[in-house]
Amino acid sequence: MTTTVSARTPAGAAARRVLHFTISRGPLVVFAVLLIYLSLESEFFLEWRNIKSILRQSAPDAILASGLAVVVMAGGDDVVVGGIDISIPAAATLGVGLIADQLVGNTPLLWAYLLGAVAIFGVGAANAFLVVYVKLTPLLATLATLVASVGLYRWAIDNRRITVLGNGFVNEVRDGDFLGIPIPALIMLGTLVVVGGIAHRTRFGIRMQAVGGNRSAAEIAGLRPGRYLAASFILASFCGAVASIVLISRGSGLSPGIEERLLVDMVLATFVGAAFSPRRVVTVPGAVAGAILVKALGNGFQLIQVDLFKIGMIKGVLILVVVASSALVGKLRQ
Amino acid sequence: MSRRAPALALLSRYGFLAVFLGFFIFFATRSDAFLNTSNLVNILEGNAILLVAALGMTLVVASGGIDLSIGIAIDFGGWLAIVAMMDHDVAWPLAIVVGIAVGASVGVFNSFLVVWLGVSPFLATLGTFFIGGSIQQIYTSGGGQVPFREMPEGYQKLATGDTLGIPNEIIVGAIALMLFYVFLERSIHGKRIHAIGLQRSAASVAGINVRGYLWVAFIVASATASVGGIIATAGLRQFTPLAGFSYLLDAIAAVFIGASMHPQQRPNVPGTLVGVLFLGMVSNGLNLMGLDFNFRDALEGLILVGAIALAVSQRRVLGRSGASA
Repeated sequence: MTTTVSARTPAGAAARRVLHFTISRGPLVVFAVLLIYLSLESEFFLEWRNIKSILRQSAPDAILASGLAVVVMAGGDDVVVGGIDISIPAAATLGVGLIADQLVGNTPLLWAYLLGAVAIFGVGAANAFLVVYVKLTPLLATLATLVASVGLYRWAIDNRRITVLGNGFVNEVRDGDFLGIPIPALIMLGTLVVVGGIAHRTRFGIRMQAVGGNRSAAEIAGLRPGRYLAASFILASFCGAVASIVLISRGSGLSPGIEERLLVDMVLATFVGAAFSPRRVVTVPGAVAGAILVKALGNGFQLIQVDLFKIGMIKGVLILVVVASSALVGKLRQ
Repeated sequence: MSRRAPALALLSRYGFLAVFLGFFIFFATRSDAFLNTSNLVNILEGNAILLVAALGMTLVVASGGIDLSIGIAIDFGGWLAIVAMMDHDVAWPLAIVVGIAVGASVGVFNSFLVVWLGVSPFLATLGTFFIGGSIQQIYTSGGGQVPFREMPEGYQKLATGDTLGIPNEIIVGAIALMLFYVFLERSIHGKRIHAIGLQRSAASVAGINVRGYLWVAFIVASATASVGGIIATAGLRQFTPLAGFSYLLDAIAAVFIGASMHPQQRPNVPGTLVGVLFLGMVSNGLNLMGLDFNFRDALEGLILVGAIALAVSQRRVLGRSGASA
């Protein structure tokens, strides 16, 4: 009662607007303050050499998060029954394992990468089949394909580290620059343009978002939700395939177990990225920005010699700041 | 026709059980050791921790949420119980209470985020997951094990002892199973929690104390998971930081397998038990077949995909023909 009265008076309305502004811009303000603090504490932080290393490190997370963003947009943002694909990092790791295995065996480059991509798309197709035709919830379907992918790659490479040495292409993607920009960063940018373009700038993408926003309304409007859901899983495996190219270079091969870290960081980047969208929803550019932000903060805190073990804490608090602010904005609007 | 319809309906409802039985018979024919009483007891004993974790998860999923931080509750429960005994000379029964209380506090934190701030459970518990993992790393120098060789015998017996010839782990699992069954499937409170999970706004309009039940769900889930952590530390006589994570995906799989057997696809206690036993049986059976370790993991994943898909799709096909009949 008091709130409705105060909202009617000019002063109350103004106070409400200020509060709304503070909370809704809160995460961005927190990010900005942290970045400014880090750049003041460490001169090296904003040096181009360091920025390049941040971009290089964030590329795999950003590419995987773009894929997850598409699935979330098409399936709806209820994570339990809506769109989620936790199998992308495991599928990408499966691809990396196959590529590494082939490269060590001197298979031509193109064939090796093609084989990896086929496996990753296979996982995406399995997800699409399980969700659209078998009608499993995406969480269960992609959990099952995650377990299968991890098992398959561990079996395929005998659960040992595979090192790819002296491969020109692999090394170039790892260390090379083009026009002064690291190649992984360019691949990340390319993924953002292609996947973000499809999801946000095409008729197909807009319809896919409609399906995610309200499936029955989209269906009544004449769309076939199944197609868009299936397409979102295929787009996600496209991101997985691109990520595998970056990942095999970053690790100079494959160390088993990388998929666990990638999974949590992908999910973190995607949902932290929602802070960058005006409506606090998951978007592809947001996911990319989220991945870079998380890596930049991790890098900055390491530069000023914050205990490495505390970085998980910082990540956890970050995600809570973002999601709590969007939840509070929702409450204020009511 | 009318005689066939109920049979079909029955088969469609218990499709997963048919898959379960098929695997059971398969393993029994492939390995003589599989049907040994001691092996079957092994399966039950080895999956008691997963069962209590999955029961907690069932409660949260039934209320419409998910808890990605059960691993943290598992870790904290065992860890703090050990610390209480080791560094503060607390008697072991009291140490168990301490462990469960600390585990429950993880749930309090989750409830605060979900109920009070209105954050979605997935993201709230993901935040808890990061923070809880970080706390463990900070206080164990990056994840070093915390051994406790002079563990009181009573505490150790939780995992290694028998009562009336039944391993204590199985007894703890069975008690948790019974309590959850009565609470979630047979009491008015369980009905209300299911109602909240089905349609929160409707439940609220119907006068159910939604916020109160969500608090209960998250806290009970974490407290239950911490019992699993206590058993784990008792069995190993040490605490391994971040070990709880390994139960998360299996617990989610067990709950959703169970839900896929329910007529309305609801998470439910008996279904979760079947899910846990299925996961445990497949892993045990493949183990006994003497397959290569890595190949076994791959096969386990494929069986999980195949079995769930088969059970759910066959149930849809049969369900449809049953309806037309």
